[in-house]
Amino acid sequence: MILDNLLTVRNLSTYFYMEEGVVTAVDDVSFDLKSEEVLGIVGETGSGKSVTVKSIMRLIKPPGKIVSGEIIYKDKDILKINEREMHKIRGKEIGMVFQDPMTSLNPLYTIGNQLMETIMQHQQVSKEEAFKRAVEMLKMVQIPEAEKRMNSYPFEFSGGMRQRVVIAIALSCNPSVLIADEPTTALDVTIQAQILELMKQLQSELKSALIFITHDLGVIASMASRIMVMYGGKQMEMGSSDDIFYSPMHPYTSMLLKSVPRVDKKLDRLEPIPGQPPRMIDVPKVCPFLPRCPRSVDKCSKDLPKLEMVSEGHYVRCYNPVGGEER
Amino acid sequence: MSTANNEVILNVVDLKKYFPIKQGFLVKKTVAHVKAVDEISFHVVKGKTFALVGESGCGKTTVARTVLRVLNPTSGKIVFENTDISNLRYAQLLPFRRKMQIVFQDPMGSLNPRMTVGQIVTEPMLFHKVVKNKKEAYEKAASILNTVGLKSFHLDRYPHQFSGGQRQRIAIARAISIEPDFLILDEPTSALDVSVQAQIINLLLKFQQEYGFSYLFISHDLGLVRFISDTVGIMYLGRIVERGVTNEVFDKPLHPYSRALLSACPVPDPRVERGRQRIILKGGVPSPIMRPQGCFFHPRCPYKTDVCEKEYPEFREVSKNHWVACHLVK
Repeated sequence: MILDNLLTVRNLSTYFYMEEGVVTAVDDVSFDLKSEEVLGIVGETGSGKSVTVKSIMRLIKPPGKIVSGEIIYKDKDILKINEREMHKIRGKEIGMVFQDPMTSLNPLYTIGNQLMETIMQHQQVSKEEAFKRAVEMLKMVQIPEAEKRMNSYPFEFSGGMRQRVVIAIALSCNPSVLIADEPTTALDVTIQAQILELMKQLQSELKSALIFITHDLGVIASMASRIMVMYGGKQMEMGSSDDIFYSPMHPYTSMLLKSVPRVDKKLDRLEPIPGQPPRMIDVPKVCPFLPRCPRSVDKCSKDLPKLEMVSEGHYVRCYNPVGGEER
Repeated sequence: MSTANNEVILNVVDLKKYFPIKQGFLVKKTVAHVKAVDEISFHVVKGKTFALVGESGCGKTTVARTVLRVLNPTSGKIVFENTDISNLRYAQLLPFRRKMQIVFQDPMGSLNPRMTVGQIVTEPMLFHKVVKNKKEAYEKAASILNTVGLKSFHLDRYPHQFSGGQRQRIAIARAISIEPDFLILDEPTSALDVSVQAQIINLLLKFQQEYGFSYLFISHDLGLVRFISDTVGIMYLGRIVERGVTNEVFDKPLHPYSRALLSACPVPDPRVERGRQRIILKGGVPSPIMRPQGCFFHPRCPYKTDVCEKEYPEFREVSKNHWVACHLVK
């Protein structure tokens, strides 16, 4: 297994300039993605998970703007290349699966058409060859009667089947990085299990790296080897799956884990996080979790703590981390 | 059917709700039925929580609406406090409406955006005349807002000025304003983030302890159901396939569907996840219009036998208070 940094994100900030003020959707986010690894990004609504990956794909449209940072993919800063070069990366080198398969597929074209479009866009192949490859892709995502289904429209598929088609499209050019943004949120739990199983299997077969976004801590526990926790547009904590689940250091991570009910055992109580999720407009430069944090110290209201490494590969942004020393 | 010394507040017997599918240009003919709810029986014990759980389209919400008589049942009995309300007319139903309330999934859709919180919370009190006048209603509304964790100055605000969790608190305040005995909670936290979800769930549990509310809790979130409910019914294509005490059903599920459903639900614990055996079901849920012959689950069932393709299994009590509809469970 080669563990090079395939994708490096440094100090990425993406803001939205709204009439009401500036929304700091993503603020100073940095991480590496190694080849063949599964990085999970977990966070609640509005925490900046989706904007982070959309920034990587350069899919941010006004009033949104990537205001600073670097995104290095294979030694190239993809924030500096022109749109034509980006076309060669987007969909070919970095594939993406969105949450809702009904909106990411065009209802007016057959799925065969949409699969072949991606293949012919990025690879110099004939129509016949593209058709053959498309059928192979559908077989790979386990769609029965693949050849026949090439002529079907998205509405003729169930939700789970549609998401399989979207995955087939995303993987059709054999990308080195696959980004999946809440790919199973719109699906029922038995269908979710099918899709997660499929993604795990394909990821290990195709050896692509995977960035997996979800708000579901159960899903992240079953998928990711490394996890980044986001809150209010900022990275709160990052570490191995075991670091995050068994020795969480940020008060937010630790409280979040205690607030989730489990299916495998009856908990005595749920411990809610008091207060409301943060407003994102014109936020002061302090920890976004401060108003809800029971461990806050004087320093917290003065400035924003840095994301610091506490042990090998385990990073925390907090002045008074759980089980650690006040800084 | 009722348990020894526990008083049953709601008893639903063989409830059916079919929606006709009509076709035709001038003369509409009923060509088929969507059997949304089919021969469902369960009961809710006073002061306890019964949960209905299942995937989308299994008929959970239709059960809720039929129990409230927002929809009229096709057949079956809905016995609320010893009265069968399934055929009552509007006026006869009113006193029961006061005792039954519902909290919906999406608080933005269930709160009128043009009404202030005060108007929203006082409306049921004024309608059911549990208060003498508006002034008293507003005083009561202010104290109810306090109990759900909001402030009395919120009375003059509009729903859009609140966050999702706060809006759900308003919906709960409205539901409890007329002091009902029985509440239907239809996915009350699905639109909320987990950190806020726990706040709302704890609030509901607190009210149950303090006021003795009985809940019918509807959800697709199995972890949540395990946490909040005393007894549970697992639904598949309009029928309950397994019903019993929550801990027993979750620890020792008997129906193959329950087993698959529970095993499919990921646990927020990577070590547990690594060691877990998942039952991956084939295919999706069939259409409720063209349900399979025999057991509805047999096309996806890993254990199916010949008899499963022919007959729908009887819903039997296999051990005390544990009911299952499966040919293979002895």
